Amino acid sequence: MSTGAMLFMALSWTFVLGLTFWSFSKILKTQRHFDPDGTGPASPPVPPSAPPER
Amino acid sequence: MAQPTAAPNPNEAVPAATAGGNPNEAWGSRIGLILAMAGNAVGLGNFLRFPGQAAQNGGGSFMIPYFIAFLLLGIPLMWIEWGIGRNGGRYRKGHIPGMFAAIWRHPAAKYLGVVGLVIPLVVLSYYTILMSWTLAFTWFSITGDYWGRTTQEAMSAYLTSYQLIGDDTTHSNWVPFLFYFISLGATIFVLSKGISGGIEKLAKFGMPILFLFAVILAVRVLMLGPGENGVSPIEGFQFIYSPDLSRLGDATVWLAAAGQIFFTLSVGMGTLQTYASYLSTKDDIALSGIATAATNETVEVVLGGSIAIPAAVAFFGVSGAMAVAQSGSFNIGFVSMPIVFQGIPGGQIFGAMWFALLFFAGITSSVAMATPIVAFFREEFGVRRETVAWTVGAVAFTFGILTIFWLQYGMLDEWDYWAGEFGLAVMAFIEVVLFMWIFKPENAWRSLHQGADIRIPTVFKFVMTYVTPLYLGVILVWWAITKAIPILTLEGNKSAGGDIAPGNEIYVHVARLLIVAIIVFFLLMIRMAWKRNGYDDRKGFAVVEDTPLGTPVKEGGAR
Repeated sequence: MSTGAMLFMALSWTFVLGLTFWSFSKILKTQRHFDPDGTGPASPPVPPSAPPER
Repeated sequence: MAQPTAAPNPNEAVPAATAGGNPNEAWGSRIGLILAMAGNAVGLGNFLRFPGQAAQNGGGSFMIPYFIAFLLLGIPLMWIEWGIGRNGGRYRKGHIPGMFAAIWRHPAAKYLGVVGLVIPLVVLSYYTILMSWTLAFTWFSITGDYWGRTTQEAMSAYLTSYQLIGDDTTHSNWVPFLFYFISLGATIFVLSKGISGGIEKLAKFGMPILFLFAVILAVRVLMLGPGENGVSPIEGFQFIYSPDLSRLGDATVWLAAAGQIFFTLSVGMGTLQTYASYLSTKDDIALSGIATAATNETVEVVLGGSIAIPAAVAFFGVSGAMAVAQSGSFNIGFVSMPIVFQGIPGGQIFGAMWFALLFFAGITSSVAMATPIVAFFREEFGVRRETVAWTVGAVAFTFGILTIFWLQYGMLDEWDYWAGEFGLAVMAFIEVVLFMWIFKPENAWRSLHQGADIRIPTVFKFVMTYVTPLYLGVILVWWAITKAIPILTLEGNKSAGGDIAPGNEIYVHVARLLIVAIIVFFLLMIRMAWKRNGYDDRKGFAVVEDTPLGTPVKEGGAR
């Protein structure tokens, strides 16, 4: 494989992989409570639970 | 996790206090949304069309315009479609006629949106057939059904036998119909379960499997030794990435690259917009849009480029692999790859993985295709989701059966050209003009940044306003002159599928007439919907949410 092809391949892969990792790292860092309908509470609701039966 | 807001009757008075996007459906999680969007974009084109296009357009000389098109066409269109979709959701519109009418208060806007209903139905009808081939070949790989067919000719005969064309009678006539029935049934079943209950669950399950299988196959291909020609798979990369600057002056290479970017990101279909309509203006679309585009490109460039071409080069040599690729994208996947798998240990397993990977890529796209139609009938006519989904399935099945019978007469190629190629470019051009020119760049820019986690570089405002529409306009005019008009007039007795045998022109005409009939049907439905719901084109729709469009965007993107 020629040096030019190797360089071009490395550039291409770095670009697409870099963009993917950058966007997903940003998403994971800035992840908040997802509120699709805009009406939910500021923090995720606590799942309902019942006290264990004795 | 927020629960979907119930709105059983979409025609009831719009509640003034609700503050979200289209409340008929909702996404369960952001990762689910991005996986579903990426699943919509990642399709058969990533693994079959991309290597085929790269091979036909000079490998390295194709990749330079490909990345330029990604930056100037792909990413801007991705943001525009997310923006149009979410803006439509503010008015509880998950379908293109409604979204266009929300942007442009003109009676013509809703009718322009007919393309966003016709294209998904037509493409769904034949795409599920292609998907059914992958499902069938997964089964044939597991059972070793095509084992022993180790030449291009023998494998081609096997494929055409399955397609009910050619003289080979390996398969019974009912076999392709069975796999088609299963494939379409699975698509409609997922669709009938809704956004979070069906599509999102499928994406969360199917996309990781797709990634896993693709990585395993790419690694296996790289481990292949030199074939009979003494060529290693690395030579495939040499071909794809060797920058040949001499072909950069060739307009067809640039157009092919732009076309590939266009198709691979699933823009112009109407599906990304419907998915985005279930978001509110408090949700990010700028970062999610770029994440979706980047994921698709990783699958295409890194994984899609590392499987079919390197494997074919190792087995058939560079010139042999190029000959196969240039004979059609499906020949790489359904003829070359099965021969490769027969020549390696554990080939049945790797063959099954290859076709299962294609099936998952296909079904995550096909479920998206009918969502705009489901949204239209739910929101405008109050029909239950399950009822619309299974009705659309029945219509697609009817067209699909016809397509299978008329495959040899070029019906699939005809529908693919007019809906899956030319139609997408038309739709994308309309929406760029509406969003960036009629809606105005300032409003579009503000809309994209509502709830944004990132600030889009300002240069993209210029690109989206001027460069992207110009780029699309050039593509459309070029295609119209070089392909659409000659195909339409059957110049040289050639249709979209190639030469037409004397007397077979009728099949081409019927295929076209069916598209016209679908257009007329949806135009009438749009008219009925507007009349039924008393919409005033000049006044627009009532806003379902209370976030004003003029809310300033904070620098740095934080909301």
